[in-house]
Amino acid sequence: MIAFAVELRLARFDLRAEARLEGGVTAIMGPSGSGKTSLLEVLAGLRRGARGRVAIGGEVVLDTERGVRLPPERRRVGYVPQDAALLPHLTALRNVRFGARGDRARVDSAIETLELAPLLERYPLSLSGGEKQRVALARALASDPRLLLLDEPLAALDVALRERILPYLLRIRDEWRVPALYVTHNVGEAVALADRVLLLRDGAVEALGAPLDLLAMPVLAEAAAAGIENLLQGRVSSHDEAGGVTRVVLDGGAEVAIPLARERLVGTPVVLAVRAEDVLVTTGAIAGLSARNVLPARVLSLERTGPDVTLRCATDGGTPPWLVRLTPAAVAALGLHPGATVSLAVKSHSVRVV
Amino acid sequence: MLAAGDVEMVVFTVEIALLGTALNLVPGTAAALFLARYRGPGKGAIETVLSLPLVLPPTAVGILLLRALARRGLLGTLLGDLGIEIVFTWKAVLLATMVMSFPLLVRSARTAFEEVDPRLVGIARTLGCGPARAFFRVTLPLAWRGILAGSVLAFSRALGEFGATVMVAGNIPGRTQTLPLAIFHYNQIGRDDRALALVGVTVVLAFVALWSAELVSRRRSGRTTA
Amino acid sequence: MRGMNAGIRAIALALALLLPGRAVAEEVVIFAAASLTDALREIGKGYEATSRNHLIFNFGASNDLARQIRAGAPADIFFSADLAQMEGLEREGLVRRADRLDVLSNRLSAIVPVGSTLDIRGPRDLLAVKYLALASPEAVPAGVYAKTYFESIGLWDDIRAKVVPTLDVRATLAAVEGGHADAGIVYRTDAALSKRVRTAFDVPRDQGPPIVYPLAPLAASKRGEAARAVVRYLIGREAIAVYDRFGFLVILGK
Repeated sequence: MIAFAVELRLARFDLRAEARLEGGVTAIMGPSGSGKTSLLEVLAGLRRGARGRVAIGGEVVLDTERGVRLPPERRRVGYVPQDAALLPHLTALRNVRFGARGDRARVDSAIETLELAPLLERYPLSLSGGEKQRVALARALASDPRLLLLDEPLAALDVALRERILPYLLRIRDEWRVPALYVTHNVGEAVALADRVLLLRDGAVEALGAPLDLLAMPVLAEAAAAGIENLLQGRVSSHDEAGGVTRVVLDGGAEVAIPLARERLVGTPVVLAVRAEDVLVTTGAIAGLSARNVLPARVLSLERTGPDVTLRCATDGGTPPWLVRLTPAAVAALGLHPGATVSLAVKSHSVRVV
Repeated sequence: MLAAGDVEMVVFTVEIALLGTALNLVPGTAAALFLARYRGPGKGAIETVLSLPLVLPPTAVGILLLRALARRGLLGTLLGDLGIEIVFTWKAVLLATMVMSFPLLVRSARTAFEEVDPRLVGIARTLGCGPARAFFRVTLPLAWRGILAGSVLAFSRALGEFGATVMVAGNIPGRTQTLPLAIFHYNQIGRDDRALALVGVTVVLAFVALWSAELVSRRRSGRTTA
Repeated sequence: MRGMNAGIRAIALALALLLPGRAVAEEVVIFAAASLTDALREIGKGYEATSRNHLIFNFGASNDLARQIRAGAPADIFFSADLAQMEGLEREGLVRRADRLDVLSNRLSAIVPVGSTLDIRGPRDLLAVKYLALASPEAVPAGVYAKTYFESIGLWDDIRAKVVPTLDVRATLAAVEGGHADAGIVYRTDAALSKRVRTAFDVPRDQGPPIVYPLAPLAASKRGEAARAVVRYLIGREAIAVYDRFGFLVILGK
């Protein structure tokens, strides 16, 4: 849990932000230059001029009125900046160990989560952008933080790389369970990772709510127009050579068919992505459909997102709700409403392995 | 080749230069760190004072030191009461070389510190390092090459110091005569052959100093240079 | 008719410019021992009042001046504080033996700062001193004379550890004036000039080394005529009176 009410003089305006955030991942979004990075730096204790009050996990780390100002090294905050900021004179291993205070178990665990074993003896100079970010993430985790501050960790990477790191972030969220603030411009990331979105504009908190609720806001809708993906986690269950498909069992139990991917060994975990635009909805019975993936579902909500409508549909027990994007005409034609029973159909070719 | 007393004189010169550089290391690094980080009032004035020996003619610095240290001078009377004599002794040679070479060390070290990305220090802080630990684990390892370069520069300057030394320590053979003073002296009394032999020694010393610094620097590079 | 007058005038002017000697003002450069500074400056003023020529002085330790001359410095006249430096130049052909004149002599004095409480009345009292300033005893005439003197009385080995060598005799004077040295050996003529030192004792003439100041024009001088004229003035009646007043001993012609 983190609560803050802070003020900081910036170049063009003053940062005046206030919020209470219960655990989990909070995406911090907003136009460029609205103070997102500055807010993270204030929480980390790296901005000397900040005034106000900050409490992390119940401990007051900043209280200007009472003269409390914990220095960064006492706040137990893991900070991952945009460019990783690895210490160039240390190997990847020593970078990860830097803040670990000798806790071998944590270090090994972080290395395993981020799959750094082959990189450990290399120096930052010889690492790629994605590899550097993974080392930076492991380093933050290994220091046993109470709060993770991630400043657009995927922004400096190209699209392909971004998708390769995303699974690691999911792993961190699900397995490590450290509360995190995650600055991003990318709506897809926010939707995939965050429990809530905090919208910052000109230094002030404009809104705080569930990602999908905020999708309706113009500033996010434009970003959302670029496309939202459903991220599904599961394990490879079998390969069907003759049929040309590989079957994946999702965490919730449902089964999805993807184009044959022999190199993915049976039993290995995978993350699948399906674009919201690629999901078909039908209200009637399914017969003679080429799509290999048909999932029964129930409509949870409908939201206008720009010119389209985004549906949230619940499928089986454990999988997160699917996002489906339809034209208003389609919604009207099918008479879709919250609570409606539908089937979602997805071609195996529309399922991408991340 | 070298006259009898000259070997001792060369050893004396090198000892003084090494000792002076070593004694300057901590205060010089501290001053460099201060100049690199401090942004408050008075910084310009402090910067100027610390750079003076670099800009003033060595003889000017020599005279100022002499007036301060001579028996009737500012510090001279205080030191005299304590029974400490500096003028015309090896201590004056040490002092003159330290004063003249100090700004060179500070300048190089300061540049080295300024080139360390402050964000790296910030990251180290969030990872649990207090200011001192962050300095030793991040700033210093990234800046040591610049500090080394500054030390070599200061050492070479100390080896060649003449103007201030001759004023405050005199050119007393066997007691305060250093390599550059001896070269001058031999030239004055018409023994250019001896002077040139000493010039040869100077070249060798400078070569050794620069080369060993280059070796140390290169042995640990290739990993952090971008 | 007018054209012819102009022509004659032109030729006269040309001839006047081309003729050497008194028609043109010369700059004569004199390298002289530091101890001669005050006396020669005064003599120089007197000379310039009588001649179109202009004198440029370079005062310093005679060994240093000789070194500069050897290196090619454009001196016209050398007035040294000892014979060794002059004879060195003679051996190298820079001075003609026949041109040299031995003009002056001097005496040594031991000086202390004017406020000094040290009781020094003779050379052995100098053993109590911490720092004794001398012009560098290896080559500067004043220092060489002092060393010769101490050697002659068997004191040099004990006193040499206290010596602070200076660049020339005026630097010795300054060191004692400033209190950096407890005592110093300078020429009697120097001691007389400063109010900030007092003479502890004079070295009697029969106990001190023979001091000779030789004077000569330089063979390579490009202003030979003017140089000789200046040398003649430097040993003339007016000059002798000045040397005498400053306390030098005139030995010319003896």
